[in-house]
Amino acid sequence: MLRQLKLTLFAATLLATGALPASADPANTVAFVPQLIGIPYFNAMEEGGKKAAADLGVEFIYSGPVDTNPVDQLQIVQNLIDQGVGAVSVSVLDASTIAPVVEQAKAKGVKLFTSDSDAPDSGRAVYVAQATDQGLGYAIIDEMVERVGEEATVAIVSGEATASNLNAWIGFMQERAKDKYPKLTLLEPQYAGGAADRAAQIATDLMAANPDLKGIIGVASTTCPGVGQAIETAGKIGSVIGTGYCSPNTARSYLKSGSFGYSVLWDPAKLGYLTVWAGKQLIDGKPFEASVQLPGFDSPTTYDPATGILLLGEPAVFTADNVDQFDF
Amino acid sequence: MTRLLGGREATLAAACLVAALVFAAASPVFLTPGNLLTVLRNSTELLLAALGMTLLLAMGAIDVSIGMAMGLAAIVVGQLLMAGIDPALAGIAGPLAGAALGLVAGAVVAFGKIPAIVATLGLLGVYRAGIFLTLGGAWLSGIPTGLTDLVATPVLGVPPAIVLIGLAYLAVFVLLRRTPFGPHLLAVGNSDEKARLSGIAVTRIRLMTFVVAGALAGLAATFYIATYRNVSMTIGATLPLEAIAAAVLGGTSILGGRCTLVGTVLGVILIRLMQNGLLLVGVPSLWQPVVTGAMLLIVLGLEAGAGSEGLRRLVRRPA
Amino acid sequence: MTARLRQSPTLAILAGLWVLLVAGIALLSPGILTASTLTTILQFSSILALVSLGQALVILAGGAGIDLSVGGIVSLASVLAMMAVSAGLPATLLPLACLGIGLALGLGNGLLVTRLRILPLIATLATFYVFSGSAVALTGGAAQSGVPAAFTPWGRGALAGIPLPFLTLALPLFLVAGVVISATSWGRWLVAMGDNERSARLVGIPVDRARLIVYGLSGLASGAAAFVSLAWLGSARPNIGQNLELTSLTAVLLGGVSIFGGRGGVAGVLAAVLLLVTLQTALLRLNINTVWQVGIVGALLVAVLVADALTTRRR
Repeated sequence: MLRQLKLTLFAATLLATGALPASADPANTVAFVPQLIGIPYFNAMEEGGKKAAADLGVEFIYSGPVDTNPVDQLQIVQNLIDQGVGAVSVSVLDASTIAPVVEQAKAKGVKLFTSDSDAPDSGRAVYVAQATDQGLGYAIIDEMVERVGEEATVAIVSGEATASNLNAWIGFMQERAKDKYPKLTLLEPQYAGGAADRAAQIATDLMAANPDLKGIIGVASTTCPGVGQAIETAGKIGSVIGTGYCSPNTARSYLKSGSFGYSVLWDPAKLGYLTVWAGKQLIDGKPFEASVQLPGFDSPTTYDPATGILLLGEPAVFTADNVDQFDF
Repeated sequence: MTRLLGGREATLAAACLVAALVFAAASPVFLTPGNLLTVLRNSTELLLAALGMTLLLAMGAIDVSIGMAMGLAAIVVGQLLMAGIDPALAGIAGPLAGAALGLVAGAVVAFGKIPAIVATLGLLGVYRAGIFLTLGGAWLSGIPTGLTDLVATPVLGVPPAIVLIGLAYLAVFVLLRRTPFGPHLLAVGNSDEKARLSGIAVTRIRLMTFVVAGALAGLAATFYIATYRNVSMTIGATLPLEAIAAAVLGGTSILGGRCTLVGTVLGVILIRLMQNGLLLVGVPSLWQPVVTGAMLLIVLGLEAGAGSEGLRRLVRRPA
Repeated sequence: MTARLRQSPTLAILAGLWVLLVAGIALLSPGILTASTLTTILQFSSILALVSLGQALVILAGGAGIDLSVGGIVSLASVLAMMAVSAGLPATLLPLACLGIGLALGLGNGLLVTRLRILPLIATLATFYVFSGSAVALTGGAAQSGVPAAFTPWGRGALAGIPLPFLTLALPLFLVAGVVISATSWGRWLVAMGDNERSARLVGIPVDRARLIVYGLSGLASGAAAFVSLAWLGSARPNIGQNLELTSLTAVLLGGVSIFGGRGGVAGVLAAVLLLVTLQTALLRLNINTVWQVGIVGALLVAVLVADALTTRRR
């Protein structure tokens, strides 16, 4: 019996070691820990990170949790720090995911910073931002009002209720609606977790509950397919406009069918590139300049020393007309 | 017929009715045909998964990997569609793939001699890794619309999927009540030792039940693809627990030996009706799991509590 | 020691697997074998160990015992305790609040099982929905920050490389539980009623009361885990207990506790927890995709139990 078990474990170990070699030089390695693996958004960041690693001559590790559980994410970060990786970037689920290890990282000389989702005041070295939370929240509301007018009812379907970056965007959507479009009715946000079918179910129920609904915003990229599909299935194309923060590839078929009016996103591959570049800068001990033009980037990235934010740029708006120009 | 409409079914039907009346009073939209169709459409996967779970529970087993089995079957269906295979064939591949996965679960339980909850807990992890590795970390999206007619075009106001699900229930009903498989399954559920002594091929019954439950999960996968045309990593994560909740609400005993298909349908409808209605009257969706749990506690608690007999009589009297 | 190992084959298997695992790592990537790795493993074992201890007691006591609500209790206890502190509860009472809420929720499970005679699987499935759902719904999903800074040195500290939550909480509780089970009459009742409930009742063991207490203890252990999470992370996360029900169940079954009750001990459970976390750590250090963890743990569970079932039958 013991032999059977040994064989099982041995086979597993073999399989596993065949999958990936251990990294060569930990100190010259930049790691990125996403909120969740297995979603196209973070995969695109991984691709960008790999490209940057090749360009800059560093090793790159991409490792994230299977569930959006803060302890699972913390465990990954902790192990990267124990390995003595040169720089670790985290798209935090919540500030608590790095709080317990900030001091350890400093003691070991590991540069710990955030990317994609921030933990302000945590002592992180820098935050690599796709766009400001404010810019993202405002942009999606502005684009929506442009399409449905100011006197409209719009619903919000988010992913995990516990994701701090999604909640921040929702907060700025509500702020924009209140300040600039007093006649716009934003329904209370609903949460679908990470499941596309739950998102579709909630979107369908929301359309039934609010016959005058004009738009649905899918906040997490995992909710976009559900929202688009629900509008198609309910036969509400044209009368309800779907949108969300999702990549052209995810939104393409919905943009073309008309269930999505537009989609707001940045290029996650560029964000991944910028993340690894920032990690390299930190490892080399080079300061960030106020404005830097990276190869292959349309516009220069800016750095604000007061907030410690390295900004990718403005988010892009994708529509049926321009979506085919992008592949990510 | 008394067996068909026992105490629990009456309780549940009454609960559905009361819930419907309350929601109808609170929201003018609730009783519109469009909304009721929405409730039905949102129930498709759960109706099938819960049917399979009902059979497994009646046999004294359980399958917590059923959601992941649906996920893997959905990947098969989706990839066949994307490869340009005839939609009808791709649709049938769903139940076939599900049946194969059910056979795996059944074999581990029947031959490994380990409790179903443990075996399928292990398989849950293995299947989950399988889903991830076959998807390669990306989603299947933009799947062709070949199967969409299943869930869209209403036949007499009802999508074909609902008709097919009705047929699946009918088939299982016939299997349970008109063939030896039914009594044998319940006998295994009551006591596999006694069943074996009375000459029932216990292992074969076990395997068959898991295969049927798997095929039903696979059919759910076909409808899933037809509805959402997208497969992500988290597919099916909440399905097993919801299916267990629905079956138990319906009156199926997890100790085995007792099941009711009508009860399962009512259990599914009640869960989805509450989710839909609460959203309609403005309760945030975050409370939905709490309501599901509370319903389980209330229904089972009422039955267990002293008031259950009185309540049952109360419900039965008009009939 | 050898007698003890012979008595419980699972413990030997787990120890063997663990040695094998460590040897494998040493071969593949010797740099991992440092004291800080041990600290990391024990730190990430603490919460799982506490929750698994409660789960083990519930399953040991039989009567189809199982507690699917443990993760929900961890989430809800940490959230409610922090809300109480924000509402003016003295910060020094935070640990007591966690334990008290955990105990109360666990006793609630116990009442459902012993008084209303609802089967544990279903009763705790229902409370799993209620507890974990409430934790998220009450907070709207937002983390509750503001854990008093006085607790974090304990939550994050270590003595001689052993994390304090593990050294001062998880380990002592396992020792106490081990002694109680093997050396007190109450502990022997527990195993006896798990082994054969009817004869336990016949000899006059207060089965229902003991079972009620066991569910309470499971809640208490989850409450303790909630406090560890607060002191460690510095904030209450409404989904902190996510997946703990399945992971703890895996650890308990892997640790040699029979799902039917009456067989097994807490030493195996601790060994299984350490094996699981070591495995996770090793895979992470080798930079292997985390999804393999899920698959390997699942396969391991099936393999160990099938092997166990087949050898038991032969015996």
